[in-house]
Order: sequence, then structure tokens, then C-alpha cells
Amino acid sequence: MTTPSPRALAWRRRGAAFAAGWREFAKQRTGLVGLGVLVVIVLLALLAPVLTDRDGLDVTKATGGRMESPSWEFLLGTDRAGRSVLLLTLWSARISLTVGLVATLISVAIGTVIGILAAHFGRWVSAGLMRVTDFFLVLPSLVLAIALSSVLERGVGTIILAIGLTSWPAAARLVRAQTLTIEARPYIERSKALGGGHFHVISRHVLPAVAPLVFVNTTLAVGSAIVSESTLSFLGLGDPDPLRPSWGSMLRSAWLDSAMIAGAWWYLLPPGIAIGIVVLAFTLCGRALESVLNPRLREG
Amino acid sequence: MPLLELRDLTVRYRGREREVEAVRGVNLTLDAGETLGLAGESGCGKSTLAMSVLRLLPASAEIGGEILLDGEDVTTMKWGRLRAVRWTSAAIVFQGAMHALNPVRRVRDQIAEPIELHSKTQLSPSVVRKRVAELLAQVELTADKGDSYPHELSGGQKQRVMIAMALACEPKLVIADEPTTALDVIVQAQVLDLMSSLVARQNLGLIMISHDLAVLASTCARLAVMYEGSLVEEGPSASVIADPQHEHTRTLAAAFPTVGDPVYRYAPATSSPLGLPTEVPAPGEVVLRTEDLRVTFRSRGVTHAVAGVDLEVRAGEIVALVGQSGSGKTTLARTILGLQQPTSGRVVYNGTPVPRSAKGLKAYRREVQLVLQDPTSALNPRHSVYESIAEGLRIHRVPGDEREHVAAALEAAELRPPAEFMPLLPNQLSGGQRQRVVIAGALALEPKLLVADEPVASLDASVRGEILALMLRLRAKLGLAALVITHDLGLAWNIADRVAVMYRGELVEVGPVDEVLSEPKHEYTQSLLAALPTTRPKQPTSRAGDSSS
Repeated sequence: MTTPSPRALAWRRRGAAFAAGWREFAKQRTGLVGLGVLVVIVLLALLAPVLTDRDGLDVTKATGGRMESPSWEFLLGTDRAGRSVLLLTLWSARISLTVGLVATLISVAIGTVIGILAAHFGRWVSAGLMRVTDFFLVLPSLVLAIALSSVLERGVGTIILAIGLTSWPAAARLVRAQTLTIEARPYIERSKALGGGHFHVISRHVLPAVAPLVFVNTTLAVGSAIVSESTLSFLGLGDPDPLRPSWGSMLRSAWLDSAMIAGAWWYLLPPGIAIGIVVLAFTLCGRALESVLNPRLREG
Repeated sequence: MPLLELRDLTVRYRGREREVEAVRGVNLTLDAGETLGLAGESGCGKSTLAMSVLRLLPASAEIGGEILLDGEDVTTMKWGRLRAVRWTSAAIVFQGAMHALNPVRRVRDQIAEPIELHSKTQLSPSVVRKRVAELLAQVELTADKGDSYPHELSGGQKQRVMIAMALACEPKLVIADEPTTALDVIVQAQVLDLMSSLVARQNLGLIMISHDLAVLASTCARLAVMYEGSLVEEGPSASVIADPQHEHTRTLAAAFPTVGDPVYRYAPATSSPLGLPTEVPAPGEVVLRTEDLRVTFRSRGVTHAVAGVDLEVRAGEIVALVGQSGSGKTTLARTILGLQQPTSGRVVYNGTPVPRSAKGLKAYRREVQLVLQDPTSALNPRHSVYESIAEGLRIHRVPGDEREHVAAALEAAELRPPAEFMPLLPNQLSGGQRQRVVIAGALALEPKLLVADEPVASLDASVRGEILALMLRLRAKLGLAALVITHDLGLAWNIADRVAVMYRGELVEVGPVDEVLSEPKHEYTQSLLAALPTTRPKQPTSRAGDSSS
């Protein structure tokens, strides 16, 4: 056959749309900076086992002295047990990023499903689901997360679950609002008149239309999930295994070890600054994506 | 000195990628007390031309030439002077009164706003109040209507408020941009009467913009026709209508048929080489029947949207359902399609009642298809033409080669060659082509009945005839029955076999088009017909007499 199939054409069109989106994204310097920083950090976190030796995290095998200030051997000094702070910060990135990403995915998934279902079915389904959403929205999420992680076994999984289960209401409200505007379009009516059922309308029309919004929302939410993770770990609800540190648990041990009183700024600052940089990078990326997908936000 | 003189006016919109020349070298004069109708299709630059008079254009617009308003060039005015001139020398009745009024302020305050802004001295509230009452009286509204919010007024009343606002500072020139487009025929006639009498009484200059020549001819002494940014024809209304010189004027004039004129019966204006079917097929068996159908809405009081309707559509028959907005015709269509559950009564299709279960409805929906009013929003902007048409085929898992079905549907809707249209997205098509895609999507399932809700209301005059001709050809070729919902009696005269007139949820008159529209029995049908603007210009005084009777 000389003409390509419509499916191939659709994919080609998606490819072209992606390329156009990328060109628009590339015009935004802040977004590019954010993306660059993220790529570097993710690569470093992924390659940590290759670049460094995990044994350095073991307190029994630590080589440095107690809270040594930065030197050529330990660029960012050492902690109380003599471990390299640089090594700790690097390995912490793995846990912090994992928790941030997975928790956001859970929360956005719950939020999208609930938002779309509430808007699509309306009436009592919407009333029921939105009351549940309101309940989670007014519940202090930190308290709920603390309660959850104290009931469940301490560990990375619990933290992910705690964050994921408490941060979805905002996404649900956003997706519901977007779904309502899409459902009001006449092409939804046409689709129903053609005989399309609920699944058809949602999967063919609603989901592709809300997907970009969900994507932007995910990017922006990762930052706050990382902050939540740090908060929970700082409060001592994180993984107790010293071989799996996160930035929050580093801050916690720095605080427990009275690093400030000891004047060991190198112990306290790196995890804090790392959190700041990663959250900023995600936000820059998210904002740039937002303006790619919503042309009205573009300046000029 | 003329009231308004345009000398070689050009308006360019600077885009990021390309420049659009919206108005190209227009020369026009208007004397005080004169009325001018500006006709043209969407995108011909008529609104841009009107807005340029008060320089109400977006920043990307570049004006060339001269706009002399009372001898003063608007293009060179300083900001302060321009502000003073706006509304005091010339005022605008904006398109779509629904959106041009502030929903959270009383209309009294909105009418008073320009008076207070342009007054040199501080006016006492009682003076302003008196002036607003005067203005409301001029547009035939009672003074207590001033205390209403816009949502409490009907479309016609809102349009009157807009006119009162335009008259607030006693301008010498009023520009009305499609003042009646969103209104029903009866209300439209009232608003047009009002404008004609105001112009005559206050010696106003009026520029009225519309795509409908009949509306313009019934109000304006002179007509100007725009096409692609240039003025192609100008002259007294009567002679422009009777003897159009430019081809485009002829298209515009032909697009709006005269109801009752046999020339237009079964003959929508079309320039397609396929022509029109020569004979009208005899209607067959009853395909669809509603039995005492009622739909009642219970939010905010009880509304009987459809109050006991018995309607029949036979195979191969085109039935027009006409009525004002709010008469329940769209609700009736939605109920027939099963998109709205009836409160009581039933819809019978081919002798069996239409089921309410999702599964039964799915089978029914393969046979009865919907064509929506606005093709731009009826197509998912992310789906290509192919996907939009294949949607129904995929839902019903129609056997056979999908691509062949789609090609056949495109061919049937006269989008040729089909392969070229398949990969396009809706925004790459014109309005008429989009409506053809919607029709093709419906045809792909080989339905027996097409329910079309205002199928041409949002299309340009020249495209309107083509779509209607397509429906006639489809009927002749496929034996397709159609229920066409419209507010436009001309459309019924153009294509329908039978007409059903709906008023307040009930069918007040049903019968063959020739009978009902030539000799209406019911009062309401008579008033609908009387309200139709005609291309024969009338004296404003006689029109006012007509409507009061």
C-alpha cells in the first residue's frame, strides 16, 4: 500500500506535535536550566553505585574522623560517624528522588481517576467522590502521613504510601474541573450519539485532553513530594537503615548530632541545598511545560 | 461635510508568522441621518472596518488611510481626544448582547456609566436617573427594568439595553455589529423596527453590519457588500438586491430564500456541478414516531420543555422542526436520540419502542445519527478527519475494511478525493468542510435517519446552500430520512417536505411545507412568517405599523 495507515499517521502527528512542543520548551531558558540540572542529578543518582563505593555508608567501615571539616579527602567533610557527607548526599538523592517520583505518580493516578469519574458521571457519584476529596483536603496531610507511617512498618514504602495517599485531592479537583470543561464540548455529545459508552468517551476524548494538564501537575507535584519526604524523615518516620539515607534523614541526624552547635555547617547545608535545588529544578521544568501546553501563559 | 468618511482605509494585522490584510483600500462616506448596511461573510473584514472607526482594534492592527469622523481624522487623534470622541460622536452596539453586558451590575448603572464618564460636571444622581429612564423609554423598556441584572432579561431586552447604552451620549453615528444575529425572528423584527424608528426620529447615522442581506435591506437605505477586505458593491438597497452586479453579492442574495417563492422550493443555492435532485421521492413507511412525549426539568422550578409531542418521520422524508429558541426543539431532538430520558411518553423506532438500557440504545444509535450545529466544536480538535469518521465504525465494530468505509463516507459527503482529507485535522478545514466531516461521520454507519440540530446556523451564507443541497442529494441517493431542527423558516422552505412548528413545548402546527408556510393556520406560525425580514425595503413607519397589529 502506498499510503501509510492512519495509525502510523496518528503516531507521526504525535511525533511532530512532540517536536513542536520541544522547540517551544527549548525557547524557555529557565525551563532548560531546570531540565539540565535534573538530568545531571538523576544521572549522578543512578550512577552512584558505579562511581562510589557503598561501603562508605557503613558506620563500621567509616574512615574519616568525627565531624571533620571539608578537606581534599572529604570534599564536604564528615558526619559524626566519620562518613563522607558528599557520599551521603549523593546516595540520599536516590531515595529522595524515588520517593518523590513514586509518591507523585500514586497521588496523580488516584487524583486523575477520581477527578475524571466524578466529572464524567456527575450526580451522586460526583457528590460522593467529592465529599471524600474534601475530607482528605481538610485533613492536615502531615498529621495523616505521620499517623499512617506510625501504624505501618517504617520504611521507604510506607513513606511513599503516606505521601501518595494524602496529596491527591488537589490533583482530583484540578482534573475534575478540566474534565467538566471537556465534557461540555459538543464532540462528547456527538460521540455519545454515535453510540460510544462511558469507557469510549473517557479513553478516547477525556483522557487525551486532560493528559497534558496531568503531566504538568505531576512535574510540579514532585517537588512538594520531595519536601514532604524530607519532612517525614526529619521527624524520624523514614527508613531507619543507615545504608539507605535520604536528605531528610541526613538533616535529622545532623540535628540530633547538634551539628549547628558544633559548627559543622558542612553537615547541615548540603542536604538542605540539595532539596532546594531539586525542587526548584522540578518547578522550573513544570512552569516551562505549562506555558508550552497553555499558549495563553506565553509572554509577548 | 459628511458624518463619516473613509479614505483608502487599510487595516493590517501583524501576526508572528504572517501579516493579514483585513481591510484593503475601502472608500466610504456616510451623511448624517443616513443608514448604511455592510454585508459580507465571516472573515471579510466588516467588523474590523467598523471597529476601526473608533480605533477599537487590538494592538497588532495597523491602520492606513484616513478615517474622518465629523471631519476629524481618528487615526491621528491623541489618546485623550479619542476617549472623548468614543461614545459621544460615535457609539457601537456590540455583537452578542449576552456577553457585552456586565453580569454583576444592574443595567441602570451600566447605561449610566458613559453618561457619567463623559459629563463635564458632576451630575446629581437624580439627573442621571431621569436620563436613564428616558433612554429606556426610547428603547421601549419600562423604567423599572433598569433595576434588573442582565440575566433577568431576555435576549431581545438585553439587545435593547445595548442600544440604550449606545444612545446614552447622543452620538451622531451608531455602529451596530450583527445586532440581531443571536435573536429569534420575532425579536429580531422588533429590534430592527426599533432601530429604524430611532434612526428616523433622531436623525442618526447608522452603519449596520450583518451577513444577512434581508436584515440589512429592511433597515438600511444603502447597502455595501464586502468581500476579502474590499468593497465590491455599493448602492441603494433596492437596486443592490434586485440587480446585484458582483458575483459575491448574488451568492449572498441567493443564500437567503424568500419563503413562499416557488423558485426556492427544494432549491438551496448551490454552485456544485452535481446539481440538485430533480424529483422528490414519495415518503415510505413511518421510521420514527414519538407518542405523547414529555420532558420536564425540575431544577429551579418546573419547566415543561417538551409537553406532549406526537411527531412522525417517514422513510426518505425531510421534516423541519421550527420554533424560537427555548421552544424545546433541541430537547426534543436529544430525547429522540436517547441523550435525554423522557419524563413520560415514548419514542418508537421502526415499530418498537426505543430501549432505555445502554445496550439497546447502542444498537438504536447505529440507525439514527446526529449532526450538530457548530461543526468546529463537534469535532475533537485532536482527532484527524479519518479518526473522527472511524469513531462510529470502531464503536460498533463494523465488519469490513475500516479504510474503505471511511473513504466511502467521505465520498458520500462529497469530500473528494477522500485520501487527501483523511490525515487533516479539523483546524485545517473550512467551516463547510468541517460540517461535511460531521455528516460523513454520521453516514459511515449507514443510518436510516439523520437528526440535524441547526446544521447550517453557524456556517457562512455561501456554504449554507451547499450543505442543504448535499442533504437533498443524500436523501435522493440513499433514501435517508432527516429531522432538521431550525429557527430558520427559509431552510424549511428550501429542503423540507413537512414542517412541524413548535411553541412552548408543543407542536402547534404540522403539515406539508407548502401548506403551512403559504397558508398558516395557527397564530404563532403567522407571527413567525410576518416577522421574516424581506429583501424588499420597507418604510420604517409601515414596519412599525405591521408589528403593532
